Amino acid sequence: MWRPFKDRSGEAGKEDARVTSRARLMDGRQIMTADEIRRAVIRISHELVEKQAGTDGLVLLGIQRRGVPLAHRIAVAVEEHEGVTLPVGALDITFYRDDLSLIAQQPVVKGTQLPMDLNGRTVVLVDDVLYTGRTIRAAMDALVDFGRPRAIRLAVLVDRGHRELPIRADHVGKNVPTSSDEVVEVALVEIDGEDAVRIERVDAPDPTA
Amino acid sequence: MPDLRVGKMVPLLEISRAWLVDPVGEREGPGEIVVRDGILEAVTWLQGAEADGIGPDGVLVLPGFLDLHVHLREPGNEDAETVASGLAAAAHGGFTTVCAMPNTTPAADEPSVFARVAGAAAASGSPVELLLHGAVTVGRGGERLAALGELADAGAVGFSDDGSPVKSAIILRNALLYAGMLGLPIVEHAEDVTLTAGAEANEGLVATILGLKGWPAAAEISAVERAIAILDSVRADAPGARLHLTHLSTAGALDAVRRAKAAGLPVTCDVTPHHLGFTDEWVAGARRWAWEALDGAGTARDPWADGALVTHPYGTACRVNPPLRGAADAAACLASLADGTADAVVTDHAPHTAVDKETEFGLAANGISGVELAFGVLLAAVAAGRLPLARAVAALTGGPAAVLGARPGRRGGARGLVEGEPADLVVVDAGDRWLVTADALASRGKNTPLLGRELPGRILLTVAQGRLAYRDAAGDA
Amino acid sequence: MATNTSRIPTTPDVAWRQKHLLDVDVLSLAEIQLVMRTTDAMKEVLARPISKVPALRGTNVTILFYEASTRTRVSFEVAAKNLSADVVNIAASSSSVTKGESLVDTIRTVEALGADMIVMRHGTSGAPYLAAEVFSGSILNGGDGWHAHPSQALLDLYTMRTHLGDVRGKKVVILGDVLHSRVARSNVWSLTAAGANLWICGPTTILRGFDAWAGRWAGGGAPGHAGFTVTSDVDAALRDADVVMALRLQRERMDGGLLPSLREYAARFGLTRERLAVAKPAALVMHPGPMNEGVEIAPDVAVLDRSVITEQVTNGVAVRMALLYLLAGGHPEAVTNA
Repeated sequence: MWRPFKDRSGEAGKEDARVTSRARLMDGRQIMTADEIRRAVIRISHELVEKQAGTDGLVLLGIQRRGVPLAHRIAVAVEEHEGVTLPVGALDITFYRDDLSLIAQQPVVKGTQLPMDLNGRTVVLVDDVLYTGRTIRAAMDALVDFGRPRAIRLAVLVDRGHRELPIRADHVGKNVPTSSDEVVEVALVEIDGEDAVRIERVDAPDPTA
Repeated sequence: MPDLRVGKMVPLLEISRAWLVDPVGEREGPGEIVVRDGILEAVTWLQGAEADGIGPDGVLVLPGFLDLHVHLREPGNEDAETVASGLAAAAHGGFTTVCAMPNTTPAADEPSVFARVAGAAAASGSPVELLLHGAVTVGRGGERLAALGELADAGAVGFSDDGSPVKSAIILRNALLYAGMLGLPIVEHAEDVTLTAGAEANEGLVATILGLKGWPAAAEISAVERAIAILDSVRADAPGARLHLTHLSTAGALDAVRRAKAAGLPVTCDVTPHHLGFTDEWVAGARRWAWEALDGAGTARDPWADGALVTHPYGTACRVNPPLRGAADAAACLASLADGTADAVVTDHAPHTAVDKETEFGLAANGISGVELAFGVLLAAVAAGRLPLARAVAALTGGPAAVLGARPGRRGGARGLVEGEPADLVVVDAGDRWLVTADALASRGKNTPLLGRELPGRILLTVAQGRLAYRDAAGDA
Repeated sequence: MATNTSRIPTTPDVAWRQKHLLDVDVLSLAEIQLVMRTTDAMKEVLARPISKVPALRGTNVTILFYEASTRTRVSFEVAAKNLSADVVNIAASSSSVTKGESLVDTIRTVEALGADMIVMRHGTSGAPYLAAEVFSGSILNGGDGWHAHPSQALLDLYTMRTHLGDVRGKKVVILGDVLHSRVARSNVWSLTAAGANLWICGPTTILRGFDAWAGRWAGGGAPGHAGFTVTSDVDAALRDADVVMALRLQRERMDGGLLPSLREYAARFGLTRERLAVAKPAALVMHPGPMNEGVEIAPDVAVLDRSVITEQVTNGVAVRMALLYLLAGGHPEAVTNA
């Protein structure tokens, strides 16, 4: 389809196709309230310190996009009960996904910021929803390009099942059985203005697994 | 007319309640015709209540069309077209007489080539009349005059080096003198080749944006003015000298012809449907008619700003010599038909093989396959109110006939609806439309930018010299 | 403690709908901005110790260049390899092309050999459009005749934005042989889309036709406003310019009778320190390369601090990575289930 050029100098960011961002689906059944999210974050923060027998060597890496504020919240909780500030970073796995067709729908890259050298560290990946496991596989590929951690662990807010790869989370906020025609939407204040987790039935399967 | 094969004499044909157009008799209106045993037996004009409900948007009966300028690629490039396929295409387009250009391989610069072509026409069984132009120079090389006298004796209706201009002024002058003696016109393809070396598309906004080498209007205008000046200089010595300028595409060239005619010079000219109907925007991917690409003030619209680009740019079907021009030039071509500056519409039917066209724009052969589409383009102009139907029909019938002049052995050469003459007519359903597809084209050349587009008017029947030349598969008269 | 202060702005998501990138003219402003953001991410990748990501692993990118070019061809090759693509390099002079194989046949052969994407450069305007008609994958135009060089225009825009922020209202001057320049034409599209105050300058023989193009934009030349002005007055063009881009002048132009001599061109239109003095003190100096030092650009200008010519080369790899990445997934069908 040949779209003719138009003088766009008068437009600022207007566009004729919007990709559904995950935050748009705000209908559906709520399965976690703000309080439940808060308690899950606190519990996860205790669990990972327990597993590490302390805080030495821990680095939290949030997976863009919503894993990042979750990682920060976990770090805040650890500081409150341990008095230690854990390093937090962000990991963008856009270039490591194994599905090229996602590029058309989600081309925007959000960026990777690493707080320090990862060699020898215990990296805890943080994400909002664990589904097929492909995002985590891509995250591990990305991580390995940046250095050689001593260990990699995974903390997620919601585990919705349907794994396609042998990947499991070390720390889970809530296990939610779902069917593949449902979508789990996580809203966080830092991005969406509220804290909630909802399930919605849709026609197309969740492409962001 | 059940089961009548192409080529056979029409035993009986009755068409009632149609719109007849007779430019020669200068008459147009509701009527009926009867053809019996190949002769147009009766032409009846209806009046009063009988004429109610019959308009020019229904079935039309017109004199058969005459094309002064087609390229049949036989001998030498039969993959692109043969005489047989070309005549079938012509009949599909409503043409009952066509004049073939001599740029074949070998060029038609002597009677033996004429004989080959005429033989192929006879063998095809087509009733479409095939007339031939001879080359002006040997091999169209521009150095020596061809055997003009022998060619005239063999039936040439004119001389042309088309594809190219006559190479030099001195040769053109001598050709006008000699052909004038024979009473035949020189048909000149006016182009200054030093200005068009490497040129790809009309010099203008589209060529600039697309990065194509410009084809200046001055190349045509200066060549036309040269030819007219030479014609003027030989008139005293050869009162019979005649110049016909073919496929003019620019306002400037048409203005020069207008002035020359006003001064009484024996010059005639023609325009093509693609030069009056398409514009250089089509190279950028537009497909709107030329009159839609012009704003109220007579300036060309901007296809990028208008969102008029509907297909991919650099379509080689748009590559033609002379190139598709801007909307103002196209309007000038259309206006020249209305005011009589242009004597005729010709198709410059130029079929090419896919090999010669499916290549980079700069390397593609020039030419549009157009003989089947000419009337449809003119009907589009008529439907848009840009051209009266009578003028469109005259441009395809009486106009070109007058350019050829009276020819011995051709009965009723004036091309009207004349009782008692052999039937030479075309029946069109002006209310119908047809989709131009490769399969729908009888020509071997599928190189038209109209592929995939719909044209107004469907030709139902073509009768040439009393015999069936084309019949629409679907309908029946 | 690191915070989520990514310098990549989170604007509303845009769908990339282009299957091919043949010219900048069909890109909307939002798509151009998307290319800029993706280039930022690619620059970040290039800054890593291992400057490679697996995004295009398993994708065959065939580079088909009909014109000799080291700079652009290598730039594309490096870009494709940084995305872990499988790269096949075809330099036309060494292939069957010289035996007379048609472009269409070559494309079909390349497709049969497994190409998913073709980066092509060709001497005839419009050739990639023909290739796009016969190739089932994506075509990225690396330059066609005089017509377009989209990746160059986008890397030029990226370079300008890196230094100037927004180019909206900034005075950008393109000086030189615009008539034969695909870099100029593509820059016209991208800079006018981005709202720059664009000026084109050169001898009148070479400006022919661009007046009509500039005439499509109302209000040219006013400082701080978008516009498109064409002039042969070098001083007026360079005055207070924010960016000066010099274009290569080729000797062949003398043969065509367009210019008397290279010496005369250099004297009247060459970018020298003196001429540059009327531009803004921090004006960027750019050139797509390769340069004819002493003709369109003086040697001492090319190495000024504010000359970003070598930066253009680095940015070129990042922009091309971004384009290959977006095209790899950019098929219109993929967008429908948004």
